[in-house]
Amino acid sequence: MLVQALIKPNTYFDSVSLMSLSTKANQIEEVEQAIIAMGTEMNKEVMKNVGLMTPEVEAAGASDLMIVVKAETDELCETAFEKINDLFTKKNSGKKGKNDIKYSTISSAAGSNPEANLAIIAVNGAYAAREAKKALENDLHVMMFSDNVGIEDEIELKKLAHEKGLLMMGPDCGTAIIGNTALCFANAVRKGNIGIVGASGTGSQEVSVRVHEFGYGISQLIGTGGRDLKEEVGGIMMLDGIQALEDDEETKVIVVISKPPAPSVEEKVLAKIKTCKKPVVVWFVGGNEEKITEAGAHFAKMSKEAALKAVLLAGADESKLNKRALNIPLIEEVRTKLTPEQKYVRGLFSGGTLCDEAMHAAMDKFDNVYSNIQRNPEYRLKDRYTSQEHTFIDFGDDEYTQGKPHPMIDPSTRLERFIQEAKDPSVGVIVMDFVIGYGAHEDPVGAFLPAIIEAKQQAEQEGRHLEVIGYVLGTELDPQDYEEQINKLLAADVTHASSMQNAGLLAREFVVKGE
Amino acid sequence: MLFVINAISGDTDFIKGIKNSIFTGFVHSTFNRTFNIECFENGDLYTIACSKLDNGPNTLIIDVDNMKPMDIEVNDRVRVEKNLLYIGDKHTISIDKAAKWESTLPTYPSNVEILKLNLMKMKEYINIHGVGGGIKKNVITQNLFDAEVSNMLEKRTLLLLNELLNDRISSALPHAVSLVGLGPGLTPSGDDFLTGLFTIFNMKNSPFYPYRSFCEDVLKKAKTLTNDISYMTLKKAAIGKVRESIISLLNSLLVEDDEDLFLSLNKLLNIGSSSGTDIALGIIFGMEANIRAGGKVC
Amino acid sequence: MSRISDLFKSRPHVINVGIESFKDDLLQQGSEVIHLEWTPPGRGNPALIAALDKFENPAILEKIEAANKLAVERIINSHPVLVGYDQAINCVPGMTKTTILHAGPPITWDKMNGPMRGAITGAIVFEGLAKDVEEAAKLAASGEITFSPCHEHNCVGSMAGVTSASMFMHIVENKTYGNIAYTNLSEQLAKILRMGANDQSVIDRLIWMRDVFGPILRDAMKLNPNGIDLRLMLAQALHMGDECHNRNVAGTTLLIQALTPYILQTDYTIEQKKEVFDFVASSDYFSGPTWMAMAKCALDAAHGIENSTVVTTMARNGVEFGIRVSGLPGNTWFTGPAQKVIGPMFAGYKPEDSGLDIGDSAITETYGFGGFAMATAPAIVALVGGTVEDAIGYSTKMKEITTTENPNVTIPLLDFMGLPTGIDVRKVVQTGIMPVINTAIAHKDAGIGMIGAGITYPPVEAFEKALQALSENIN
Repeated sequence: MLVQALIKPNTYFDSVSLMSLSTKANQIEEVEQAIIAMGTEMNKEVMKNVGLMTPEVEAAGASDLMIVVKAETDELCETAFEKINDLFTKKNSGKKGKNDIKYSTISSAAGSNPEANLAIIAVNGAYAAREAKKALENDLHVMMFSDNVGIEDEIELKKLAHEKGLLMMGPDCGTAIIGNTALCFANAVRKGNIGIVGASGTGSQEVSVRVHEFGYGISQLIGTGGRDLKEEVGGIMMLDGIQALEDDEETKVIVVISKPPAPSVEEKVLAKIKTCKKPVVVWFVGGNEEKITEAGAHFAKMSKEAALKAVLLAGADESKLNKRALNIPLIEEVRTKLTPEQKYVRGLFSGGTLCDEAMHAAMDKFDNVYSNIQRNPEYRLKDRYTSQEHTFIDFGDDEYTQGKPHPMIDPSTRLERFIQEAKDPSVGVIVMDFVIGYGAHEDPVGAFLPAIIEAKQQAEQEGRHLEVIGYVLGTELDPQDYEEQINKLLAADVTHASSMQNAGLLAREFVVKGE
Repeated sequence: MLFVINAISGDTDFIKGIKNSIFTGFVHSTFNRTFNIECFENGDLYTIACSKLDNGPNTLIIDVDNMKPMDIEVNDRVRVEKNLLYIGDKHTISIDKAAKWESTLPTYPSNVEILKLNLMKMKEYINIHGVGGGIKKNVITQNLFDAEVSNMLEKRTLLLLNELLNDRISSALPHAVSLVGLGPGLTPSGDDFLTGLFTIFNMKNSPFYPYRSFCEDVLKKAKTLTNDISYMTLKKAAIGKVRESIISLLNSLLVEDDEDLFLSLNKLLNIGSSSGTDIALGIIFGMEANIRAGGKVC
Repeated sequence: MSRISDLFKSRPHVINVGIESFKDDLLQQGSEVIHLEWTPPGRGNPALIAALDKFENPAILEKIEAANKLAVERIINSHPVLVGYDQAINCVPGMTKTTILHAGPPITWDKMNGPMRGAITGAIVFEGLAKDVEEAAKLAASGEITFSPCHEHNCVGSMAGVTSASMFMHIVENKTYGNIAYTNLSEQLAKILRMGANDQSVIDRLIWMRDVFGPILRDAMKLNPNGIDLRLMLAQALHMGDECHNRNVAGTTLLIQALTPYILQTDYTIEQKKEVFDFVASSDYFSGPTWMAMAKCALDAAHGIENSTVVTTMARNGVEFGIRVSGLPGNTWFTGPAQKVIGPMFAGYKPEDSGLDIGDSAITETYGFGGFAMATAPAIVALVGGTVEDAIGYSTKMKEITTTENPNVTIPLLDFMGLPTGIDVRKVVQTGIMPVINTAIAHKDAGIGMIGAGITYPPVEAFEKALQALSENIN
């Protein structure tokens, strides 16, 4: 029989509570005998008399509470103490079961749950700023999924967050990974030492899954929202994010992802990077290499390149990485299948940055590249329902989502467009992304499969080959079945690209004529 | 939410302290129906109690049903400003409407016949309604510790009685001290018993009254032997300052009114777990010793 | 930056607002998530959101918080004591022989519903102003009777709340602040004036109450110099399983227990005294009006505090539901349509038979008991058509729209949580949570009476109008 004691210094319980605790403690299965008493000299003498003295009891003071347990083994004593401790905490916090309580405001939820540290705001943009402000005032970090929030509100919120040392991710921030937890739209990736700050959600997702594929992992992925690097906002969250990752012990390499920032903001961000003690990889989609290299950062032109540079800086052995080079024989083969009239690429995307990357790959070789997200107004799509020459559409853009969920959740708008594009005899290649992970559709490829099979047959009957490239953004850890998504593509004779970078390059190369 | 709570009544000295603005401290301990403040100025403990409890030394009764919703925590700072007692930034207590109360013990009677009769009734009542586990023995204890506490209490109170009855006050001292801190609760049974006994020593005209310095002698040794809260009660009892329910019982013991006696006794027995019973037994013990000693003196 | 590094070191513990699937994804990853029951503030009305935003301005917020603190302090510290009983003509301010007080916000005869008209015509006959209800209806329509809300005369009235000159009133004095509140006596059974019944049995009972019951109570209380501490008794009754609006078993027992020694000492005959005790024993509702006057007494002490957004009155006249707010002093009412009461009906009646929500009894919820203290009265969960857990849920939910807890009056089942106190117009509009009200159901037609009991909610419009008025008023 073993005797063990636990001393709770300066702990007072009224006698009635103490009695009931003592009674309950003696009813615990593992306990041969349990005594709960104040540690006075006389009570210690009693302990000695009945053979329950331990060094802990000896050392207890008159205002300390002694809990002495007699049980068969060490383990049983431990279990008994755990159960007795439960009795005490029950007594102390006595409050109603927290999960059963419904809260209607952030203030009341935060007030009753001091452990809460982050709020996700995904309500109509008209109300989102109010809620975010409440969250910040309650010392919560904020991830704001909502869009259509005024830029003045964004600035005010970010300034407030900056003052309070809080993260203000968004508005329009769809992706973050904090403490190895995917928030909103993000993939399940390994925990690691590469930190990401991204103004573009799918860009960040893409880099995080590439890092994962290279065998490395993500420490934190901070989203800033798409407008953070605009002149007016001034990159407040981007700058704080870089600083946070620099301060974070687990982060060894930082990757910064954005569309090219406003010049004044780019200057600030690069100045920040210049003083950063950790290596920084910068992928400004379609951005300028020179300035970035000058700032001492590592320039990446495309997504896979950004991930590759990051893992190399984190110590990867380049010779052991599978970099998945482009399949040159495949390019030759597809080119021969296409007729001379099939000159154009049509890119139909659910991810904005994925669209952007594919579009920039095409722009490197062609001038006639049109899109709803083209920065040059001359090449902006004139009619959103009609494609022109090479066309890349981001279906996540407001004009396509009006009143509907995001294309990563609801494929219907993009699906209709696919059927339309497939009928166009000037189209050689249709390239599409299929995003899985938390937040995304449960079977995005499955939703397109019948349409793809039918379109390909139709084209065949019309005497042309319709080339479809599919890219599945995800990892084998995601809640959907990654392998199955790829197998579905292959079964429909779709060319599966291993990365967004490769998808963009393949699409471009397939329609190059006469090289 | 900070709002003003009215105090209903309180110990005169405590109220004076608040009025003179010389009171600062911190919350020492919290319970469902009371919390204690440790005063920086004199190191004493002061009690804030909810409206269902009785007056006592260093105690303020406030117009609150239960302390739970007040969310008071140990180490909350306490200060006085303009006659208001502030508990952290959570609550403000006003003493403007508080009735003043002072602990005044009745005088020991010259004729002890009624007292004798009442003590008999009181013993009988405690036999039936008193709470065991302290001085009153529990018939069955399955717990080694409780059984040993009971044994020691019994032995030591008997030794104490023996010395007191034989007028050997100085040799009674170690036996009284050996009771301090004995018992598991917040106010250990030994302490409660001594509280009752000290009260009787402080009744004017009682045969033990000339020897009341005995109480302070016990107290001098008690400081390290029990916890702060129980020590404070003993400290006050040693100079005849005890809670209202004890005083009511003493008054009831001096008159012939059974109903009144049982009401007062019942109130006292409801204190704590076995505390009320232990105090009552201390009172009986003291009274009986007085009667016997008194008999000798005559 | 330390808050960010704290976040990085721990796991996210998320409060999720909006899309619920984000919650599921987080739970799947083993994270702690609280999903808010969120609705757009002010039902998305931009003017209301602007008003709510205005109240967040630090200078204004500080004023409101200070005012609300004072308001709830006055509610909580109020000490209502029953000091006596007397006829309305002798004690109620502004009462005349041709005045009839009614429940709820102001209303004219032509707009009154069935139960209210039934009660008024009955009262006119009782006062001897007409020989039968037909003649009474003509008199009521003639303009010779002055109609006025109880609330504007320091009174409250249950159900129709019809109060006339010779009816006996509770007199409840606030020992802390000095103000007095009144309410008439319970008629006990179901077929009664306040429910709209008005046949001879109803009139006869009123006459007995005027000639025997009232005078005995009056003379009994004259013998009680200290009065009866109603706040203390309310706290006891709640600890004994009443919520003191729809369940009054314990409260009635306590009250008659306190009155009995004095009733016995009056000079009336044994038979008369026995009639009184039999009458009180005939229904648990005897103390119902008493608690209403108690609440009214405390809430009147909190009315008229500049900048306060605390609700001091909720009352219904059977057509409209009206509220008054502390910061908009005097008789400024904000109204919306009275709602249906949902709950079990007496045998033989159907929901279509119900009159709309009526009576000043929602003063109990305004104070913090009744529906707000549902957790004290598990015995009547049938009213909410649910479980004890649902009943507890009502009490905790009301904390979301109130200012503080009342430590003087507590709910044992919720670990002695104080009553949710000080309904805040801002919080109601912000969260869309409506105060929950326990109440009786009167038949929609005159002359029939009580046909059930249940729960109801105020119309949101009343709170929205009040919010806008407050916004115009506070600068």
